Amino acid sequence: MLVLKLIQSLFKALHSEGTPGQLAAGLALGSILGLTPLWNFHNVVVFALIIVLNVSFAGAMLGWALFVPVGFLLDPAFDWIGRTLLLDTPALRPLWTALYNAPVVPLTSFNNTIALGSLVVAAALWVPLFFASRWGVVRYRATVAERVKRSALYRSVLASKLYNLYRLFRPEA
Amino acid sequence: MRVAVFRWKAVVPLLVFGAVALGLWLVFADRIARRTAESVGTTLIGAEVEIERLHLDLPHGRVEIHGLTVASPFEALQNLLQADALVADLEPLPLLEKKLVIDRLTATGLKFGTPRLTDGRTLKDSPSVAGGRSDGVMGQVTRWGEQLQVPALALPTGKISAARLDPAQLTTPRAAAALGARADSAQQAWDSQLKGLDVGATADSARRMAERLRGAKATDVKLLGEARRTLGQLKQAQDRLAALERSATSGIAALQAGAAGLTDAKQRDYTTARGLLKLPGLDAPDIGAALFGPAAVGRFQRALYWVELGRRYMPPGLLPRATPGPRRARRAGATVRFPRANGEPAFLLKTAELSVQLGAAGTAPRTYAASLSGVTSDPALYGRPATASATAPGFRLGALLDHVRPTPRDTATASLAGVALPPLSLPSLPIRLEPGAGTVALSLAVQGDEVRARWTMQSDRVRWTRDSSGAAPPSPTGDLVWRVVSGIPTLVVSASLTGSLARPQLAVSSNLDRALAERLRAVAGAELAAAERRVRAQVDSLVDGQVAPVLAKVTVLGGDVTRRLGGERTQLDDARKALEQRLRALTGLPGVRLP
Repeated sequence: MLVLKLIQSLFKALHSEGTPGQLAAGLALGSILGLTPLWNFHNVVVFALIIVLNVSFAGAMLGWALFVPVGFLLDPAFDWIGRTLLLDTPALRPLWTALYNAPVVPLTSFNNTIALGSLVVAAALWVPLFFASRWGVVRYRATVAERVKRSALYRSVLASKLYNLYRLFRPEA
Repeated sequence: MRVAVFRWKAVVPLLVFGAVALGLWLVFADRIARRTAESVGTTLIGAEVEIERLHLDLPHGRVEIHGLTVASPFEALQNLLQADALVADLEPLPLLEKKLVIDRLTATGLKFGTPRLTDGRTLKDSPSVAGGRSDGVMGQVTRWGEQLQVPALALPTGKISAARLDPAQLTTPRAAAALGARADSAQQAWDSQLKGLDVGATADSARRMAERLRGAKATDVKLLGEARRTLGQLKQAQDRLAALERSATSGIAALQAGAAGLTDAKQRDYTTARGLLKLPGLDAPDIGAALFGPAAVGRFQRALYWVELGRRYMPPGLLPRATPGPRRARRAGATVRFPRANGEPAFLLKTAELSVQLGAAGTAPRTYAASLSGVTSDPALYGRPATASATAPGFRLGALLDHVRPTPRDTATASLAGVALPPLSLPSLPIRLEPGAGTVALSLAVQGDEVRARWTMQSDRVRWTRDSSGAAPPSPTGDLVWRVVSGIPTLVVSASLTGSLARPQLAVSSNLDRALAERLRAVAGAELAAAERRVRAQVDSLVDGQVAPVLAKVTVLGGDVTRRLGGERTQLDDARKALEQRLRALTGLPGVRLP
């Protein structure tokens, strides 16, 4: 079921009416959801951005689905980065102290090594991921998209009820 | 083509989604907060924390907890405490900084040490409890307890066992063999010397000479000369025989001394054999430590566990501190706190009023009041030590955790009188002690790394029972201790701990120590005598068979040599006497003496 949904997301994203930029932006935003621990305050903001900004929702779901396992795999690295930033960089200590004692900010769990490390990595990856995925979508649409659109698999995906729900959040031209 | 930045038509669904999320949060907030509180509490205590119901009343800044149960981190089927209800008045603004400041907490129906159906220890399967190593506070305290050397109770178990007696370890058989050889050698020497003297031939020659003189004349100078030579030879033989007699006498005396020495050697062998007995150490302090040392160490470990938890979660200073992150599918990581001077602590309980229920022995539980103040995660920010106090008839508690300064200072003292004291199993013995109603007191002072603690327990109506649970199998040692302690109705135990936390010194004493030591000595004395008889018999069996023939040989040899020498001497004396008479008769002129 999960695999089917992933395929649906993939097809919908790649063949949506959105521009490659919208799809890439959605995928890059979705990657933040996947790379960082989900139940954190910053992900509420990211999710709201995905909804409100005119980016590909399917692309965001695809990015999320793709980067969840990556997040699990990279947790040790996130932990190391987070520790380095929080504990081993004295120059940043005043910043963390100010943030920790500011209203609301501590609710983001920025002071957790995994949360901070993964958020920093996700933020750093956002721009390269955006451009890489935009380039990839352009290449895909120029080469194999038409053949895929004619396939029985693609038509069955489009015929599913989930597609109707997706249409609500498809990018506006 | 220009693409719009915002998807305005999704704003409404987003708002709806937000409203639904808010609604869900309001519906499930109590449950989420309950689970969070349980999770945090469980991590903090090291044992299950269960809450029946939790209600967040945010408009009034109040949290109500009903049915709180905290399992004991030490005992499998026991709760540390249970509370009917806790009501906390929170300060709302610090919540925005993810800080919890409780102005006032009231707890009612607090009960301690209640039984539970399941094991609530979260570290029960961890190596720290199983005897291995762990980096947690429990592992740290377990390791600390292991370094306190508690002597094992080593008592005579019915028959005192003895190691197998090796004949080679005994000196008497060797001495007997040597003496026998000396006797044989002496006998040979004396036989040889006697043979060399040829006393019979000398005596015969003298007798023949006396016969020849019978018909001789005084003018037969030649014969008289021969007679004188024979007499001279006789005298020489007598002299040599006298010398041999003296030598034999001293030789026999030496052999007899050797025979007497065998008796001394046998005594030494008895001593050697006694040294092979496995005798117990029966000093009173050892017995006290062996009987109540583990219990005392357990009490001190528990006290130290809370001190260490306090030091871990209420550290001095304002440096960033990392604690394990929340439990989740992803890695927990570490959550770092950054306290700031003049800021609010991450957690602060300003005051707490506790209603404690304690059950005196044989009476219904009574309710006492206790108070708590200044419990905070950042003592340096709060600036005052945490205190706890409770006073009631028969109950007194006072504690002060001063982590405001760089060197933490923790002191606590508690005493409880007239309550049912928990039963105690004597280590490695099938005996269980039920102190009944008594007094127990614990005082503790830990300053930096220096510890000074004392635990006392006193009861006038002690009940001793045989522990049939099988934890310690029945043994002669158990029987012996049982006979001693079962008649003692009072119990006074005192244990003290001093020194540094790294090198603590434990001393334990009780009123049982002296009685047990004396009784054990008496019992061991009888056993010791029996054991000694056994080893003496063993020595006798190994020694007597070799000593007796040697002693007989020496005795026989002494008599035989004396008798033989006496016979030879008589023979020479008679011959000389006869010869001298003949010569005197032949040359019997007045004034003439035989040469």
